[in-house]
Amino acid sequence: MSKKLDLSTVVKSVSSAAKSAGAQVASGARKVTQRDTAPDAAERLGNELARSTLDHCVKCTVCETNCPVSRVTPLFSGPKFVGPQGERFRHGDSVDHSVDYCSSCGTCTVVCPQGVNVAEINSLARAAMKQQNGMPIRDQLISRTTIMGAAMTPVAPVANAVLGFKPARVVMEKVVGVHRDAPMPTARPETLATWLKKRPKPTKPATRGPIVYFHGCAGGYFEVETSKQTIEVLEHLGYEVLVPKQGCCGLAEQSNGLFESAKKSVRSLVRALRTAGTDLTIISSSGSCTGMLKHEAHEILGVDDSELADVGTRIREFSEFLLDLYDAGEFPAEELRPLQMTVPYHAPCQLKSQGMGTPAADLLRLIPGLTVVDSDAVCCGIAGTYGLKKEKYDIAQAVGKPLFDMVQATNKDLAVCDTETCRWQIQKGSGVPTVHPVTLLHRSLGLS
Amino acid sequence: MRDAIVIGSGLAGLTAALRLAKGGKTVSLISKGPGGLQLSQGTFDILGYSPDRVSDPLDAVGALAKTKPEHPYAVLGADAVREAAEFVAGLVPDLLAGDPASNVNLPTAVGAVRPTALAQPSMIDGAVKDGNAYVVVGLRRLKDFQATLVAGNLDRAEVPGGGSVSARAVWIDVPARPEEADTTGLTYARALDDPNVRATFAKAVAKQANAGEIVVLPGVLGLDDHDAWRDIAQIVDHPVCEVPLPPPGVPGLRLFRTLSALARDAGVRMINGSKVIAKRVEGDRVVSVSISSAGHAREYEASAFVFAPGGFESGALAVDSYGHITEPALGLPLSHDSAEGLIHGDFWGSDQALFEVGVRVDQSMRVLGPDSAPVYSNLFAAGGILAGATRWREKSGEGIAAASALRAADTILGEEK
Repeated sequence: MSKKLDLSTVVKSVSSAAKSAGAQVASGARKVTQRDTAPDAAERLGNELARSTLDHCVKCTVCETNCPVSRVTPLFSGPKFVGPQGERFRHGDSVDHSVDYCSSCGTCTVVCPQGVNVAEINSLARAAMKQQNGMPIRDQLISRTTIMGAAMTPVAPVANAVLGFKPARVVMEKVVGVHRDAPMPTARPETLATWLKKRPKPTKPATRGPIVYFHGCAGGYFEVETSKQTIEVLEHLGYEVLVPKQGCCGLAEQSNGLFESAKKSVRSLVRALRTAGTDLTIISSSGSCTGMLKHEAHEILGVDDSELADVGTRIREFSEFLLDLYDAGEFPAEELRPLQMTVPYHAPCQLKSQGMGTPAADLLRLIPGLTVVDSDAVCCGIAGTYGLKKEKYDIAQAVGKPLFDMVQATNKDLAVCDTETCRWQIQKGSGVPTVHPVTLLHRSLGLS
Repeated sequence: MRDAIVIGSGLAGLTAALRLAKGGKTVSLISKGPGGLQLSQGTFDILGYSPDRVSDPLDAVGALAKTKPEHPYAVLGADAVREAAEFVAGLVPDLLAGDPASNVNLPTAVGAVRPTALAQPSMIDGAVKDGNAYVVVGLRRLKDFQATLVAGNLDRAEVPGGGSVSARAVWIDVPARPEEADTTGLTYARALDDPNVRATFAKAVAKQANAGEIVVLPGVLGLDDHDAWRDIAQIVDHPVCEVPLPPPGVPGLRLFRTLSALARDAGVRMINGSKVIAKRVEGDRVVSVSISSAGHAREYEASAFVFAPGGFESGALAVDSYGHITEPALGLPLSHDSAEGLIHGDFWGSDQALFEVGVRVDQSMRVLGPDSAPVYSNLFAAGGILAGATRWREKSGEGIAAASALRAADTILGEEK
């Protein structure tokens, strides 16, 4: 089918997608309204929030040794140089473009022994840079994840064909700036919401009471299978799974410096999740979106309200929740059926930055016969939308290279990772199908 | 619930975690940062100065019990230090070599001569001995290794045991990344993991060495390929000696990466990036510790706890503006709680007593209270948090870390048997 698409159809579909996604973008303009970047980023950089932590920097270079980007390119001069050192020279102005090459993976903050908010300082500095110098339309387009999902689902076969069609991607690269080889999600003909409406009522009694499920936008549109399996595993354990209507957490907008949009997104998501109950545990199978609600919306966007704090305190990442159950003696490990295989597991940056270890690896190791090999790789390179951008694509691929090699060497048929865009990146870079940990657990529990 | 939780991922924490995991315990290791190994020289010091230069460190450890009864070595004894050195060297046989009973003297990145007990095999050929001739090779794009300074100081250095050495400097330009003017040691090390790059590098070095010279190179000879230096030495066809640089310290990183991987392989759960902020106590036992993970505090229960967070340098000990000294994570009693009288103004004078402040322990490494009785029956301390040593001055850090970690782990293993 893809072969029948001609170039004019492609250009039309790309430009109409651009229009619907970046509604407020004036035609031809390379700048956005100030309201949507970071009007208060400069101001916030001047206050105590993140900036004051730069005085804790003892120049030990631990962040530099762990930065996945400066490892592969001199274009990014490293988190210490750009962060706690460079920040002293900015005084609210943007004076360097090296910070644009930071991928916001957040590793520097995680590894800093002294508590410097390196990644937060750099995220704010980049937002200020985009406010000062203008933002590519592309960065706004790829941040609108729910719109992408909603637009692609009804025309899934066409959308998949367009995204899999090289000339279309060449046009997309030239017009929009999304690299022609960058990984793209596969549109599904059925959304999670449709499946939930259609499926029969669960038969197992909810002996453990209700729980709220946050699936994230990818989990609603592209990674529908992960969401279904998560719901089924939780129901199998005896939970009544409540799935309130929900939107995007705003993470992609945030990492592209669209702070006002991101704040709106996360606030409306918080309200939506609270409609299901204000004292229930919230479970998410989206590793990075969990981090957005737990800490990033507060620490990077500066959202400081009690509703976010409430949701951020109650949310648990899927494997974190199940491993806690196991440690408390409440997970039926005896039900796990053997899976005789060896799988590579990669812990995404935004999961590691939650500071709770790598519960998925520890959880999967409970499955008899299954050998889980940690990737020991800092980052897969994609960092949300970073690796899609034409000027960053090669860097992102170089960042991911050791991981791709490790995955291929460990198992050519299956890899495991907790976050959607990282799975797409690993799958595209290594050619190895990559699934959420729930897929193996679902299978081991006899549910698939 | 885990059998043991270890706090800290420096040499003490990793050693304790590995000993416990190998002894069959379920272990979680909690750390804020990646530990101090990559800030170290990548060697295993036992005792370098006491207060004069030491040549036989285990003998000197034994003697320390008489002169400094509050020193961790006085509690541990020389046999424990030997066993710990052998245990760690056994874990990383391609990274640590030497005899714990005798020190080698190695050139430093300022051309001084530093004693240590075990060193990486890539360093040992540089041991300073009467009559040695060195050529120090600087890399134009690596600012952390000033070959002219190193050679100048080394050339006039006092040779332990007497005699003299000669040293000269040469500079070469072998880029790790051609477009980059200022390259870090780590970037060089990663580049030299590639056999093609190191062949080019080694050939450039080979041209500079005269007959009979030991080639002194910056400590960047490969990161994950622990044999990279052998390749280089073979092409250069001279004895080669790596000198550890200021951080990021590649030899220390090699130790950290290797020991961490061993711990993971042994089943240790690694929980990085969060600080320990509280403990829960029932009776005389610590039941759990809590960490400040994103969103909410997470509580971890265990039967035993090994506390190895480092000292002042890692933020594990704090002094406020009133001079109060505290251990903020668990609020443990310290050897002193006020800095008053512990600091003098003579910068070049004797050791500052403040830096000997830490937790006091008994023979089993249980933390002691002011009454010299264990505060909790299942809380042990190891490494830089221990009172009584000025580790950087004595060059005693790794010996204290490993020996105290082993003692704590063995106490836990022995009691549960």
